[in-house]
Amino acid sequence: MSCAQTHLHKVELDTKEYKTDTKPFWCAGCGDHGVLTGMYRALAEVGVDPNYLVNISGIGCSSRLPYFVRSYKMHTLHGRAGPVATGVQLARPDLAILVNGGDGDGFSIGGGHMPHLARKNINMTYVLMDNRIYGLTKGQVSPTSQRQLKAYTTPYGGVEEPLDPILYMLTYGASFVAQTLATNVKMTAKLIQEGMEHKGFSFISVLSQCPTFNTIDDAKTFKSSAEELQENHDVSDIDAAMHAVNMAHKNGRIPVGLLFRVERSTLDERMADLVKQVGGGPDYDLRKIIDLARP
Amino acid sequence: MDKNDLIIRVAGEGGEGVISTGDLITQACARAGLEVYTFKTFPAEIKGGYAMYQSRASTEPLYNQGDTFDVLCAFNGQAYDLNRSRLLPGTAFVYDGPGGDFEPDVPPGVHAYPIPMTVAAKELGGIRVKNMIALGALSQLFNVPDLPLQEIITAKFAKKGPEVVEKNLTAFARGRELAAALPKTDPWKIGVPTKKSDSIVLSGNDAVGLGAIIAGLDFFAAYPITPATEIARYVARHLPKRGGTLIQAEDEIASISQVLGASFAGKKAMTATSGPGLALMGEMLGMSFMSETPSVVVNVQRGGPSTGLPTKHEQSDLFLSIFGSHGDCGRIVLSVEGVEDCIGLTVEAFNLAETYQCPVLLLSDGSLAFSTQTIPYPDPASYKLVSRKRWDGKKAYQRYAITDDFISPMADPGTPGGMHIATGLEHDQAGEPSYTAANHEAMQAKRFRKLDAVVKNFAPVEVDGEGESDLGIIAWGSTIGVVREAIARLRAEGVSVKGFYPKLMWPMPVEQYEAFGASCRKTVVAEVNFLGQLAHFIRAETNLRPESYTICGGLPFTPAMIVGKAKEMLK
Repeated sequence: MSCAQTHLHKVELDTKEYKTDTKPFWCAGCGDHGVLTGMYRALAEVGVDPNYLVNISGIGCSSRLPYFVRSYKMHTLHGRAGPVATGVQLARPDLAILVNGGDGDGFSIGGGHMPHLARKNINMTYVLMDNRIYGLTKGQVSPTSQRQLKAYTTPYGGVEEPLDPILYMLTYGASFVAQTLATNVKMTAKLIQEGMEHKGFSFISVLSQCPTFNTIDDAKTFKSSAEELQENHDVSDIDAAMHAVNMAHKNGRIPVGLLFRVERSTLDERMADLVKQVGGGPDYDLRKIIDLARP
Repeated sequence: MDKNDLIIRVAGEGGEGVISTGDLITQACARAGLEVYTFKTFPAEIKGGYAMYQSRASTEPLYNQGDTFDVLCAFNGQAYDLNRSRLLPGTAFVYDGPGGDFEPDVPPGVHAYPIPMTVAAKELGGIRVKNMIALGALSQLFNVPDLPLQEIITAKFAKKGPEVVEKNLTAFARGRELAAALPKTDPWKIGVPTKKSDSIVLSGNDAVGLGAIIAGLDFFAAYPITPATEIARYVARHLPKRGGTLIQAEDEIASISQVLGASFAGKKAMTATSGPGLALMGEMLGMSFMSETPSVVVNVQRGGPSTGLPTKHEQSDLFLSIFGSHGDCGRIVLSVEGVEDCIGLTVEAFNLAETYQCPVLLLSDGSLAFSTQTIPYPDPASYKLVSRKRWDGKKAYQRYAITDDFISPMADPGTPGGMHIATGLEHDQAGEPSYTAANHEAMQAKRFRKLDAVVKNFAPVEVDGEGESDLGIIAWGSTIGVVREAIARLRAEGVSVKGFYPKLMWPMPVEQYEAFGASCRKTVVAEVNFLGQLAHFIRAETNLRPESYTICGGLPFTPAMIVGKAKEMLK
């Protein structure tokens, strides 16, 4: 693959060697268990050295995931995983950056950051764990909740339309966009793996059911609504990707599979070029900079 | 008669070349070996509005912008109207006339020099050289060094081609001619320096950028905000030369988040902002403290609250800087006096952040941001640089291990065996979430106790004067430079007065405050804000009960104001 990562530090490890001793705190039946299993498999498949892996999250049920993954990690603030990860990535482009978080974290409080991760093509893999509700605060509607959902703050039913994260990410210029279901561990693992192998900003939306608070979007509904992309879907064609999503919306379906992938230089590569262009390096004589301030 | 300390104010419409005229005067004086200290005001809008640039030049060291101007150069009627009340007997007044947009009613005792700037510029083929006519006139009348000016004009326009250079030099010469034809009635002339020292001329904002690069900055996250943006401009231009990275973030929350990410990755990282941006960063600064991730944030204060007076001077972010996060949250807060501090204390901010693994805030202010000053050439090798304590790989790693000095070694990603989590949740020594009473108390104590060493290890507060005195004046930030000159004047009149100039604002060096207070019969805190913010902290943390002397009109104090206040208090 032309847009593959070439810089990753690799090892051969078994799936279980990516697990920590901390047991996931999620409810039984929570889709996040499936995402985590898929993630372990993807990490083993890619062969990422855990010492060079940084797993970063914000706040929410799904944002506890880094505690369960052997890696360097940051459990940051609500909505801020993306920009924190940007800092880590630009400072150390040799690291593998894995970000995960929920729909409220990424598309409500952190929604202002998403366009910039995508358009700047920050080299990271962002796994959205979308349960279409706020779980940790006990069930309030989120920006991806269906309108008819009666929840904590919508006792008579919702009054807002939901947004579709993948449509946003395609529009924002993400260089890799995919969607899958938490119940389909195999596809989840494969897409996270491909996302990690893709050089640039990879966005994988995983519909991850909340059995405790979301009474509408359960595992069964997700499964019955999912529709795999057509075999001849051209992943290099942004129009085809948008069309597939829009058609699925029209038919009340959820498109799953790899929607879009394009090769584009990453921000850290462009920064490195810039340093090269000015002949920069740690040995550059500071006096040459100071001398410019002589009157 | 030479005046060894001359203040020239150039004023007019923004975009008319007022700022570049002031800048050229400043550069030429500095090149000739004079000390300079400048002060500018300009509108928050890009085009139009009143702009002013004041250059103070002297053969002696300068610490502030001075009381008022000796020479006013008015480009238009508005500049005249706004400064008319300061045209005191004895001052010199250069203005656009005849043929300008106003006819001044020159106050008695003022030395007026009408220079037909607009008319002469048009004769030479364009209004754009109006400021060169003015510059030539000022150079002729007040001995602004002629040759350095010509050199600098030539260099400034060289990129635009020899014709443009020629046009500007011709206009400059014409300005000199026009002024030479007028009888010189005032005594003002800039003095000639006797010695030339190795110095540079830098604004406060550029100096912060330089300090950061000297400190070993690797990563700078920027978001535009007045009056801090020039720091990012300087860093964007020069950091890549040292192999570093600047990113312009989508907002201030993102920029401080990126700083924490880069710092976690083992790099020296910073951002620079003003009050509104700092307010947005409060939550992430809490995480910097909680997760013990070093961060450096420069806050170039402006007039507040809310959007406030974006281009005006104020020292009103002390409360926000010290306590602007939720929960009990610690940090180190430094404040700069002048351009030299902008370099030295920025280096110090990085050293403190690396040592204590916490947020370090450096406070500058709106007038210092744009004030250019002569400072001694900074030898990069003369600065001591500190790097964070890193894990030695021996015993099993615990990121938040409670050690003798409460500082826990860090491990950069990629260090085998050093895997850990940086988290904003309360955690135990291993980083695992823990909400027990005993753990929270122990970990809060750890995070605060490590800061106990800051006051002890940081350079002591400068005390200006010895022994007992009738009055002690406490000042912080750029007000210090004003107080220095006020104290010199008061002493010359036989007044018994001392100064106290803290640069470490938090934690507070309580013992030093109290020792100072004990040596003064009365104390006063002079600061540019409404609430008397430092006075508040002094009353809360020390046994001093100082009087609070505050102004908040968007301008700094003048030495004369401090002298007046001191005399009033000692009456």
